[in-house]
Amino acid sequence: MRKIAKIALCFTLFASLSYASEQFAMSDADRAMYEELLENNPADMMLASGGNLLEELGGDAAVAKFLGVKEDALAAYLAGFPRYLEKFGRVVSIDQMLQGMMHESGKKPYALKSNEMFNMSSYVKSLANEQPINIDINANEHMKKAYAFGKEVFDTKRGARGLSCYSCHNPSVIGTILRTQPLPDISAKGNASAATWPAYRMTKSNLATLQKRFQGCMENALLAVIPLGSPEMTALEVYFTHEAKGATIALPGLKR
Amino acid sequence: MKKSLTLSLLLGASLFAADLSSVIEIPDASKIIQKDLLAPVGIYKMPDGCVTNDPKAIARGSYIFHNLNGGNAKGDAPEGLSKKLPDGKEKQYGNCVACHNIEKAVGGGNVGPDLTKYHEMFIKSGVRDAQYVYQKIADPRVDNPNTNMTVNLATKLFNEKEICDITSYVLSIK
Ligand code: HEC
Ligand code: HEC
Repeated sequence: MRKIAKIALCFTLFASLSYASEQFAMSDADRAMYEELLENNPADMMLASGGNLLEELGGDAAVAKFLGVKEDALAAYLAGFPRYLEKFGRVVSIDQMLQGMMHESGKKPYALKSNEMFNMSSYVKSLANEQPINIDINANEHMKKAYAFGKEVFDTKRGARGLSCYSCHNPSVIGTILRTQPLPDISAKGNASAATWPAYRMTKSNLATLQKRFQGCMENALLAVIPLGSPEMTALEVYFTHEAKGATIALPGLKR
Repeated sequence: MKKSLTLSLLLGASLFAADLSSVIEIPDASKIIQKDLLAPVGIYKMPDGCVTNDPKAIARGSYIFHNLNGGNAKGDAPEGLSKKLPDGKEKQYGNCVACHNIEKAVGGGNVGPDLTKYHEMFIKSGVRDAQYVYQKIADPRVDNPNTNMTVNLATKLFNEKEICDITSYVLSIK
């Protein structure tokens, strides 16, 4: 399972390392660290601890039961999140789904931004490793709307510098250099962000989910940071996940 | 009366039972985004005496060009430029070098065009004039609504004088 993750990572990194010049932030020391972490991603332990937390709720089987799918169909089903779930009457991400599940089993849900939830939701998404992302934005009106809304949020210029996500994540700028960083291709043709997050961030020494990574870019580019789990965030996740549709999920990722 | 009350109670109960959305976090972000939206494109005329050879103005423009913000910038800010805002927060600079190469750039990007030898390449050749550069820095949407460049005056990130300083720096012979 982990093998696949490593192959995908090599490709991801190759893209940024291949700009061979000291002007880029990945120094030789960084590179050595990266290679070492590739062998032993610190996030593996965090996902394992997330798995233990899930055990207290009944483990993988309980997730399958909560979602109303057979256990052997769970991986493929999880590869389609965020999804519209009847039980919630809305499109939810995996972490929100887990909050609902905790509530049903009489537990106080972990906060979306807690380490417990990062670990547990990352573990649950990693159950879909080796599956191609299969989000269906035409599954129903709710998904259609979420996708359209996500695209709108993505395209909206705002903040102190008047930038949108699109400013730095559109086909015309992929691979160009922004202050020593090659701008990544978020789609299935490149980095496939939705298939490689949650990831361990070497520069932050922590595990971050896709939505947490969105907040990182908002902060850096001076867009007001919006909260995890907001309809806007979930919609952005739907947008990014659709962009990476078909890419093989390989978690946890390892990022700069 | 009684009947409709029971009905609405029933309806409430069944909604509650069927819908888990009330027990999960769904914070509102619409107000945050609404307040943060970008003003419409601004057309700006360069004020009189804007572009100058004054080394102090050019030094300020250079500092704004090459740095991200007051917290991150090395050394003292040049005369007439502060590292902090009146409210004590660190001042944001242009970070133009993130996207543009220019003379003495450290880690210059290439998202935008190379501005090295700008005077020679673009001004002397007659391709651009000072007003064009001023407007482009103030609000680059004017000739490219889909520009990937930052907006610097309509966002109130800088004032007119600061845009003049930056323009003076870009146009200066380095
Ligand atoms: C000013 C440029 C800029 C803007 C605006 C911007 N980003 Fe980014 N983004 C980057 C850069 C540069 C990286 C890669 C950084 C690195 O390698 O650490 C990145 C990386 C990412 C990644 C991780 C990609 C991966 O798979 O590793 C995600 C996800 C992302 N951005 C989402 C967003 C979202 C959502 C927005 C808007 C709210 C946004 N970005 C706005 C520059 C930007
Ligand atoms: C996030 C990327 C980015 C940043 C930051 C940025 N620019 Fe640009 N810049 C561009 C792009 C892209 C263009 C190409 C024209 C366009 O798309 O509007 C451009 C064009 C220009 C031009 C016009 C060049 C010509 O004659 O055609 C000037 C001058 C300029 N930028 C100056 C600046 C200055 C000064 C700053 C900082 C205050 C800055 N830029 C910040 C991306 C950027």
